[in-house]
Amino acid sequence: MARYTGFHRPNRPLALYAGAFAVFLYLPILFIPLFSFNAGVYVKFPLEGFTLAWYADLFQREPLQRAFWNSVQVAAVVSISSTVLAVPAAMAIARYRMPGKRAAVSFIMLPLVLPGLILGVALLTLLNGLGVRLSLVTVALGHMVICLPYAISVLLPRFIGFSRSLEEASADLCESTWWTFLRVTLPCNMPGVLACLLMTFTISFDEFFMAFFLSGTEPTLPMDIWSQLRFPQDFPSLLALSTLILVTSFLMVFASLKLGRIGLVQAKEVR
Amino acid sequence: MPNFATFGSVEEAFNKLSSGFVADLAHPCLSDVPRWSSTGMFQPVDTTRLSNWADMIPELWDVPYNVKDGKPWLIPFEWGQTSIAYRTDLFELQADESWDMLWDARYSGRLGCLGAGGDVWWCAAIKAGVPFDQIHTDEAFDKISAVLREQRPLVRMYTDDTTSLDTALAAGEIVASMAWNSSVVTLSEQGVPVKFARPKEGALTWVCGMMLHAEAPNLDSAYDVLDSLISEKAAIFNMRDYGYGGVNRKACAQFTDEELAVLGLSRNPVDVLQAGHFGIPQAPEWDQRMTQTWEQIKLGF
Amino acid sequence: MTAMPLTQRPASALSRFLHRHEAWRGWLLLAPAFCLMLVAILFQLGSTLAMSTWSLDGYSVDRTPTLGNYSAMLGQPMFSALIGRSLVVATFATVVTVALCYPMAYFVAFHVHRHKALWLILLTLPFWTSYLLRVFAWKVVLGYEGVLNTALIGLGIVQEPLAALLYSQTAVTLVLAHSWAAFAILPTYVSLEKIDRSCIEAAADLGDGPMRRFWRITFPLSLPGVVAAFFMMFGPMDNWPAGATLSVVMIVTIGLAGLAFLAVGRLVGR
Repeated sequence: MARYTGFHRPNRPLALYAGAFAVFLYLPILFIPLFSFNAGVYVKFPLEGFTLAWYADLFQREPLQRAFWNSVQVAAVVSISSTVLAVPAAMAIARYRMPGKRAAVSFIMLPLVLPGLILGVALLTLLNGLGVRLSLVTVALGHMVICLPYAISVLLPRFIGFSRSLEEASADLCESTWWTFLRVTLPCNMPGVLACLLMTFTISFDEFFMAFFLSGTEPTLPMDIWSQLRFPQDFPSLLALSTLILVTSFLMVFASLKLGRIGLVQAKEVR
Repeated sequence: MPNFATFGSVEEAFNKLSSGFVADLAHPCLSDVPRWSSTGMFQPVDTTRLSNWADMIPELWDVPYNVKDGKPWLIPFEWGQTSIAYRTDLFELQADESWDMLWDARYSGRLGCLGAGGDVWWCAAIKAGVPFDQIHTDEAFDKISAVLREQRPLVRMYTDDTTSLDTALAAGEIVASMAWNSSVVTLSEQGVPVKFARPKEGALTWVCGMMLHAEAPNLDSAYDVLDSLISEKAAIFNMRDYGYGGVNRKACAQFTDEELAVLGLSRNPVDVLQAGHFGIPQAPEWDQRMTQTWEQIKLGF
Repeated sequence: MTAMPLTQRPASALSRFLHRHEAWRGWLLLAPAFCLMLVAILFQLGSTLAMSTWSLDGYSVDRTPTLGNYSAMLGQPMFSALIGRSLVVATFATVVTVALCYPMAYFVAFHVHRHKALWLILLTLPFWTSYLLRVFAWKVVLGYEGVLNTALIGLGIVQEPLAALLYSQTAVTLVLAHSWAAFAILPTYVSLEKIDRSCIEAAADLGDGPMRRFWRITFPLSLPGVVAAFFMMFGPMDNWPAGATLSVVMIVTIGLAGLAFLAVGRLVGR
């Protein structure tokens, strides 16, 4: 738990609530690793003994591995590219007076109210009409359409509240616009950018409908899992894969913390 | 190794294919053939290119609507039944095995229903005593809707995926459900006391297989895949691992009569197929009306 | 808002033009995102609208425009009932999500001073497992012989397993609230965190309303999902024209509900 410093006084009930919330968030998730070591096929109690067979099984499951890497690639590309598009867009919306801004913003936000299912079908028809071959690229394109509004929404409050005085100071020091952006604007808005990356990665990684319609013969992970529900005896290795994803991401987070990268971002954060 | 795009239901696959997705082969069922072949998306299969074709059990494919100029549209890969899987330790039989088991009020809230593939409607027709050649009539619609509405309050879950269904059966959350052969095989393997019923009214029987896309980009490989799917080895795998019927005559020699009976199969598929009820392809309007009525019932309207 | 600071370096004609014209500068920044959305959305809405006026003739599509699908749909009482039901579920689940997640975002924004990023990531990680697997995990918790029932029996609170835990409105709300948690916390955190900063710099910014931001992201996220799920259950997926009509009705419904909620959110957020 974090130490309380600064002018905010510690709030014990709130800290307790945070703990309870973490339990709510992680309790069901913990059953995924638990059952990945269970000898029985079915996700039910009582447990039937310890096994590593499902993990060994993963090495045999080439299609599942491919689907996993497909998803990682798509999510990484989507999160980075939609953030790259969203940062200037959010800056423009937050700062500039321009005719037609309101209309343009409402328009960009439209996919928020359009179910992915409908968007997927329509984009498929469009891509077919253009003669584009379905692949992971089309999936990523579809995911960007979904993710952009979220990305902009997450970044917007950050840029609206961001004080321009630092940028102006930098400009006064004869820095170029680009340099100012890289050295001042971006680092100062890092929490927003990080939230944006996390959010878009998460959306893309678990998105089903767009991927379903826009993929060729290369499935993403959610699609593969969906189709595997036909085969109960293969289900536990899906749990094993999920466990590996969880553990690996935890290790990565803690490793980067130890390496001080996140610490650096935080150092800028804490005033 | 071939690439797969697996779908949750026949409808999903049909939708994606209709919107322009091209695969070499697709896997629907025999009763889908009139509809699928009428779209022009498929081509009949040249069986002279299949080395294992001589061992194919002819009754599985030789129906008028599946043959064009002597060539079949669909090459069977598996056949089986939709019947009732029930927990022998939790479900107390009061009479012969029958479709009435899934309407047994004693087990209200502990019955399951496999909602995929329109099977529910056909099974309900058997329960309602509607002959399949009458299933298109208004009277049949009324009768079948009535039994399904009667069943709804008793049903704990309508599901499309066998993993949910099998898990619920294994946990004893449901004690009996409409199911396919594979559920019983996997559950028994895991030591769950479960049986595939032979309802006295007869089960629903079906044949599924592969259709060849009219613009299949890899035609030669597609024929290779087809040939391997109807081989003896593939048939044995189908029977042993999933409990579905194999389509290669030689495969049955690997099983004893008892083993086959447990699986709900037979050395001569015609015995099983004729003892049960085989779905008859229907007009598009029927399909739509059936889907719509069924969805309404499922949602409680 | 002040004009963009002028650099002292010699600049090209283009950049001099951009420095003088704020609107052009804004549009240039907005253009990449806007163009992508323009193509995707215009086509999407257009094709859906067009398709909703087609009809099905046997297994082929008749493209003569007609409003038949709409009248057929509105003629069925089931539709209004379905729309109503999905609105209720979505609203209920959104309110629960708001109630559960807002304090959490508040906690991270104001009471975590070290490792904020770590907290954010930890709150997101559970969602890198698949939704389908999380549903199975919830079934283990809420199921007939699940964790909760076993615990209740063990504690002597109930005699028989409660069948109603799973496949109930409560279960649906709980699972939805759980799976939206990250999407609710992240945006709320960002707007709260900004307030934290502007508290020092300019108190005037306080009124911007994190609640409004919340409604704007969380609610749209939740509503189409729930409505789509409901319609999918009904979905005559083999009938594309009818499906498109359904989509149009769905979009209009979501749009109206969204507007209503935005209005509520504005009231609450102020």
